[in-house]
Amino acid sequence: MAQCTLKPDTDFTRALKEAGGESLKKCFQCATCSVACPMAPANAPYPRKEMVWASWGLKDKLQGDVDLWLCHNCGNCSDLCPRGARPADMMAAARNVIYRDLTEPSIIGKWMSKPSGLPFLFAIPAVLWLIVWWIRAGFNGGEWFPRAADGRIVFGQIFYGDYTIDPIFMLTFFGACFILARGVMKLWGMFKPQGSLAVIGKTKSWIWHLWDVIWDEAISHRKFDDCDDGPAVTKSAPNRKNGHMLLVYSFCILAFVTAVVALGHWGGKVIPMIKIETPMPLTFPVKILANIGALMLLAGLAILTWRRMSLKPADQVSSYYDWYLLGIIWLVAVTGVLAQCFRLADVIAPAFVVYYLHLVFVWMLFAYLPWSKLGHFVYRTAALVYVRMYGRS
Amino acid sequence: MAGKIGVYFDLENIGGGLDVEGLAAQVRDKWADLTPVVKVVPLLAGAIAEISEDITAQGLDGVLLCGASPRVDGELYRFPVQVEYVNLRELCVQAYKNPDNSPVDKNNAPALLSLMARDYVNMGVVKLQKSAVPDSAAITTVPRVLVIGGGWTGLTAALEAAATGYEVVLVEKSAQLGGAASNIPMGSPLKSPWTDKEATCVSGKIAAVTENDKITVYCNAVMQKLEGQPGEFTASIATEKGTVTVQVGAAVLATGWKPLEDKYLASMGLGEDPRVVHAAEFGKMLAADQVTARRIAFVLDTTMAEEAVRKAAEDAAEAATGEEAAAPAAEEGETKSFVKEDLESIKHLRYSNVVNSVGMLRLANTVCEKTDDATQAFILYKDMTVPGILERFYKQMQDRLGVMMTKADVTDIRDAGSHMVVECKNTLLGMDFDLDVDMVVLPTGLVPTTAKEVTVGFDYRQGPDFPDLALFDGFADSNYICFPYETRRTGVYAAGCVRQPLTMDACEEDARGAVLKAIQCIEAAGHGVAVHPRSGDLSYPVFNFVRCTQCKRCTEECPFGALDDDEKGTPKPNPARCRRCGTCFGACPERVISFANYNIDQIGSMIREVQVPKDFKSEGPRILILACENDAYPALDMAGARGKSWSPYCRVIPVRCLGSVNAIWVSDAMSKGFDGVMLLGCKYGDDYQCHFVKGSEICNRRKENIAETLNRLGVQPERVEQMEVAIDEYDKVPDLIDGFVARITAMGPNPFKGM
Repeated sequence: MAQCTLKPDTDFTRALKEAGGESLKKCFQCATCSVACPMAPANAPYPRKEMVWASWGLKDKLQGDVDLWLCHNCGNCSDLCPRGARPADMMAAARNVIYRDLTEPSIIGKWMSKPSGLPFLFAIPAVLWLIVWWIRAGFNGGEWFPRAADGRIVFGQIFYGDYTIDPIFMLTFFGACFILARGVMKLWGMFKPQGSLAVIGKTKSWIWHLWDVIWDEAISHRKFDDCDDGPAVTKSAPNRKNGHMLLVYSFCILAFVTAVVALGHWGGKVIPMIKIETPMPLTFPVKILANIGALMLLAGLAILTWRRMSLKPADQVSSYYDWYLLGIIWLVAVTGVLAQCFRLADVIAPAFVVYYLHLVFVWMLFAYLPWSKLGHFVYRTAALVYVRMYGRS
Repeated sequence: MAGKIGVYFDLENIGGGLDVEGLAAQVRDKWADLTPVVKVVPLLAGAIAEISEDITAQGLDGVLLCGASPRVDGELYRFPVQVEYVNLRELCVQAYKNPDNSPVDKNNAPALLSLMARDYVNMGVVKLQKSAVPDSAAITTVPRVLVIGGGWTGLTAALEAAATGYEVVLVEKSAQLGGAASNIPMGSPLKSPWTDKEATCVSGKIAAVTENDKITVYCNAVMQKLEGQPGEFTASIATEKGTVTVQVGAAVLATGWKPLEDKYLASMGLGEDPRVVHAAEFGKMLAADQVTARRIAFVLDTTMAEEAVRKAAEDAAEAATGEEAAAPAAEEGETKSFVKEDLESIKHLRYSNVVNSVGMLRLANTVCEKTDDATQAFILYKDMTVPGILERFYKQMQDRLGVMMTKADVTDIRDAGSHMVVECKNTLLGMDFDLDVDMVVLPTGLVPTTAKEVTVGFDYRQGPDFPDLALFDGFADSNYICFPYETRRTGVYAAGCVRQPLTMDACEEDARGAVLKAIQCIEAAGHGVAVHPRSGDLSYPVFNFVRCTQCKRCTEECPFGALDDDEKGTPKPNPARCRRCGTCFGACPERVISFANYNIDQIGSMIREVQVPKDFKSEGPRILILACENDAYPALDMAGARGKSWSPYCRVIPVRCLGSVNAIWVSDAMSKGFDGVMLLGCKYGDDYQCHFVKGSEICNRRKENIAETLNRLGVQPERVEQMEVAIDEYDKVPDLIDGFVARITAMGPNPFKGM
């Protein structure tokens, strides 16, 4: 009788173990996790089935599994697992492995997966911005730390917006968007079962589903409350929802500020009235908003970092992917704030060096986004839209 | 025979408004000189010193304690004379209810209750009167343990026995010691922390045995004969140099197992395709580095093979129905010579599931470990059964990259040229699938040696082999939960895989346990007491050969083969083999067998001591309950203690075992005027609970003869019923009794009443 022949892939299991799911083999399929999960749908709940697929190295099954993305990683399953198999960590690891392999160039995914890749990741923007610095120093008469005519420190003198920062970041941004879009298409393709799929009953346009997802996940963070509605476990870690929410809101604020400044800068060239000069004075509303965003970012980071540090290793451990993302955001935030402080304190060499590092880290954050854990804000959103369109949620 | 009995009433513990002083006065009147001391004490437990004084001052030779159940505080009343109890509390006051179910006056005992109490007290007196202190049957014992089988269990048993100071004779069939364990260099864990594979070091164990002065090893040797009784067995061992005879006190049977024949698993490819092997074989290949397969299926689900065997059996049965008529009828009357029945069957595969579960986890892990996870080992199970703390081992073995497990129905194993295909259904992966593999490992069926051959060679009246092995599909086991390691032959204790398929750690534990039982048995024989279940019982059956008709019923019915006989059929008792159940005297039509403190006349007299009223209508029927004292009596006791009452027309007499019920007791009861006799015993059959294995079964068989006799006398055979009750069924037992009483009441009075 012909039925599907299984091709277990031990290397895939090994990759999952390396990406944070090192206990996955301990699972003995009791399904306590699937019962413990407050988010799992009643029909074919997770993560019990994902655990056995992972153990058997069934790459196709996990890649096509939307349930991986329904999981918000509250860790209830891991807390209650009688075997210490840590399903939550396996689910996170599976997502990490999927980010890694989803898009080209896959070498970046490889570098992202372990600390030994870090020098390469750092070297690319470091060299890039060093070249910019070197060229611009040439424009400033060979002065690497020039002052403006009025004696102020103006980063734009070296990292000139019009010709350096803006084009490079726009390229980076659109490049990342393009790669993410391809990733989303690929992911979507993997979710779709073979053959055609008919939806019976009422549905609505994907746009509205997208709005629902953004409302639930980002604006209200409602889903995180569902997560906490799980069975009582003895967790003492700080609230994840607050940290995540602070972080998301601060990202939005900073994105908004960046957009306003860009508009002011480029729009000001056409309509002089809306022109914004940088550096902006501290009392300027946009600047105030930017600094509020920066403080929120630091607060959110502090909460999430403290939470990760106080996790009981028996229940949940943080993978390299987790620490990479937290680390890079910390570096972006700290270098950003320090650069401003040094500038205001008028210590020129540290100010420029720190600002340079800030650019390196910001570039790292955005350029490598499709392969990093931060990719979840796109991939998870896509998956949740898919899930809502096909009625599994 | 007790001739001076002290009777004590425990005022505190009787209650129910009984006129205790009146009861005492009745005893004084009725028994006069037999009971020089009759006292009502405020609290029996407080009168121990007083009783001891009475024993010396009055020269009492028996003490009758009327109060709570003997199961309560029994250990308080240890006197140098015979002690007997009358259970006036649980079985009388607490179990009492009015026949019309009206509320019972707790302060003024109803007449029926007083009658019942009086009957019980008189029954107690007569019981003690007809009871004597047994003589000692102590023998001089041989401090030597015979260990049969030199495998893992046998070696352990030999070392353990030697370590306690006993001499050991070890008999091994093959040329070398070690047995199946020799093929397992790395086994499942043997000690804490029970997590990882452990080197078995069989050679170390063998060396320890061969170097031990206390242990004599015979290799290439088999048991020829075991005769005598515990403490003084004579073992004949056939060795290369001829027969060796050695005196031993007790024996440990550790003859182990043989692999189930390939034919049973042929439908799964075993013996048909070289790529299909069973686990024990695979273990040998792995130890010899002969495994090159990189995808291996370990199949624990053997439903396929079981179905194939079942179907074959059905076909065979169909084919046989036609031929049956043609087969010549077996000749009757001829003395049947012993023929060993082969008990090997596919069932042994299921029984071995624990060993295979643990074994396959170990093998799968090992093969992955050896190849650094270049091998994929699939474990496909129906029941993954890992006993006790070996769960830790399971956890550790499973935690290996190449080991993949799922519950699955394996529905087909087929050859696909370069590889084999294993078809799996109903898996945990949420789909049915095929697996391409290079090798298939099937479970090994552990068939106990006792299923295939006579291992001990008893020179007993009942034959050379253990009885009723078919009940356990050939495993040498009996009533393990209550009496571990015992076999149906006292003095021979089974350990290891001959008793049950076990992992190596469990075999070691078994070996220790069986050795301790063997030693206990030798010591008990030295003291002349029973080893189990009636540990410490001094009594043993005494034969009055003058009246014996050599009918052989006792020698045939003894569940433990304790009785041998001579050519004429005169029974030869072996007290050290005896477990004191009394099945022999239950069987004896001439009533020539008795125990000093338990005999036909004693129980008969107790029955006759009950006052049966002549007027059935106004004073009700009388029902005799003969209750097994091991399970039924405690169940009644607990029922009473929990306020569950039953008909006040019943009188309960505990018996050692229903097997000891002699038909004469039923006749006694009927001629006395009892309207019904209820035999309350243990469950029997496959899942028996009888302490003496056969007692209630034998009683049920005898009941048919009793029914015939009653029929001849014109008494309805329905007046005698046997019922089964488990020790924990105290809630059901009153209903059983009341149901019987209702049936008897409907039947009307016993025609012999008042004659």
